[in-house]
Amino acid sequence: MAPTVPSAPEPVIAARDVHTRVGADVVHAGVTLDVHRGRIFALAGPSGCGKTLLLREVLALHVPDSGSIRVLGREVVGIGHEEALELRRRCGVVFERGALFSSLTVAENVSLPLRERSRLGRRVRDELAAMKIALVGLPASAGLKYPSQLSGGMRRRAALARAIALDPELLLLDEPSAGLDPSSGREFEELVRHLNDVLGLTVFVVTRDLGLLWNLADHVAFLAGGQIVAAGTMAEVSRSDAPVVRAYFPGTRGGPAGARR
Amino acid sequence: MDLPGSPRIRVEDGAVRCSGSWTIHRVGRVERALRRLTWPEGVALVVDASAVGTMDTAGAWLLERTARRLERSGRPVTLRFRPEHEALLGIVTSSGVVAAPPRPRERAPFLSTLGRWAWSSARDAVRLVTFLGEIGVAAARARTGPLRVRSRQVLEHVQTAGFEALPTAALLSFFIGIVLAFQGSTLLRPFGAGILVADLVGLAMVRELSPILTALIVAGRSGSAYAAQLGAMKMSGEIDSLRAVGLSPSEVLVLPRIAALVLVVPLLTVAADVLGVAGAMLVARSELAMSSGEFLGRVAREIHASSYLLGVCKAPVFGAIVAVVGCYQGLQVADDADSVGRRTTGAVVQSMFFVVLADAFVLVVSRQLGI
Repeated sequence: MAPTVPSAPEPVIAARDVHTRVGADVVHAGVTLDVHRGRIFALAGPSGCGKTLLLREVLALHVPDSGSIRVLGREVVGIGHEEALELRRRCGVVFERGALFSSLTVAENVSLPLRERSRLGRRVRDELAAMKIALVGLPASAGLKYPSQLSGGMRRRAALARAIALDPELLLLDEPSAGLDPSSGREFEELVRHLNDVLGLTVFVVTRDLGLLWNLADHVAFLAGGQIVAAGTMAEVSRSDAPVVRAYFPGTRGGPAGARR
Repeated sequence: MDLPGSPRIRVEDGAVRCSGSWTIHRVGRVERALRRLTWPEGVALVVDASAVGTMDTAGAWLLERTARRLERSGRPVTLRFRPEHEALLGIVTSSGVVAAPPRPRERAPFLSTLGRWAWSSARDAVRLVTFLGEIGVAAARARTGPLRVRSRQVLEHVQTAGFEALPTAALLSFFIGIVLAFQGSTLLRPFGAGILVADLVGLAMVRELSPILTALIVAGRSGSAYAAQLGAMKMSGEIDSLRAVGLSPSEVLVLPRIAALVLVVPLLTVAADVLGVAGAMLVARSELAMSSGEFLGRVAREIHASSYLLGVCKAPVFGAIVAVVGCYQGLQVADDADSVGRRTTGAVVQSMFFVVLADAFVLVVSRQLGI
């Protein structure tokens, strides 16, 4: 989407004092963060700290117990069913396992949202799908294949093509590099960076991948113990004195030296 | 009716002017307008999109493909975009897409469909036989000994496939008994042969209906469940990880299920026998004024132990068929969600088919032997 209001002052995602409990466990104990338009924001943190849950809360797929989350100018806590659908239409998501529809080909996967959400003719929809497939760097022949016939990296790309099918304003990625080899992971990073550049997409990425944190993220927040314990550029976060962050990035203080892939 | 911001395209002063918001949710209507548009006179065309408010790749693509089509018919087109939309045009053209790749033919010719169907059925049959062989080998090699297969798991399956199916099986056969007795009594009473209702219902239930009904219920409840369970395990890689830790899926997953159904179906059949006869007895009392003692005495005299045993002996075979087919179908699940549905359906349909086939076979043999 072209930056129609380039100087919009409001953050794309603004979470304030979010508290979430799952069963008896307190997962979020006052999470506050801002994601600004056109930036790549990475949420890091140890396993099970509630990163993916926060991503689901941004999409109104899970309701926090208290606090406020504004996404694209709209409060999602207590949002109605219709508004939630409307909001999700403006967001593209790639879940950790890709979650492509296994009984549809890649091209059908990508054109499904186009069919449901636009009133374009079939041929134009097919062309748009082919364009999105090319945009994520997949060969045209991949469009005719089923997800089970693709490698992990290609499947991730196909999921990304589906996520950007409707030109979302906000792209949410859950562990995009999990299960990819370093070179595919790096290619995927470049792809996200490219989309961020050309489409002006705001990207919210949940990750544990150090390479991605160093190379891709404009802004990093570290979630641990239910709170954001460090935030800033990756260099700033890595200099944090918080013990959890120190344990997470041993020996990478101020630079990617030891952590670089 | 034009909403504010609706995308529009019109010809003005020899130029094509676009306005409104050219975004995916809205460009559908411009696409239709484009097809009907009368292009201005002259050779060279100017398409001016500088009045477009918001645009995304869908809008840019629509303009680009239109321009490309006009150029192919010999009319050069100049596209004018707002500077902030130029990047979109860049993306759209750099993708290199000219047209969508052709969709594969959705309907294959009849002969090729038939051929494929025959080939896949034949392969399915071969695989089913192979599977039977694997189970045989697994049973012979089972570490716990062929006859003592993982008793704990077997008991769990006995609980879910047998005990929990008891109410359904009992109720169903009770009602079948009632229905048969009603139909039988209206038919036999005019001939003064109402007493034969006991023979009719007793024989039908004990020899045929109880085992078949029980197999039907178990196939619907457990055969389908086995196919779905094993299918989900296959998709999530659990079957492979069993193999990886040196366990045979046939031994760990399939044998306990077969053992459970072999145990359970005869027991359910006995329950169905009892409830079916009880239902008929109720009808005999109200419709034919037969006392329970009279009815049961008739049943005991007329139905030979051989008929009863024949029914009860068929049951474990039916149980084995349902379990084998359910597990086999589950293990054939491929990597897509559709195949889980197909295989679950297949488990029920195929096991019923084999159950009825086996029943017909037993009927022929038993008649030859005069049982």
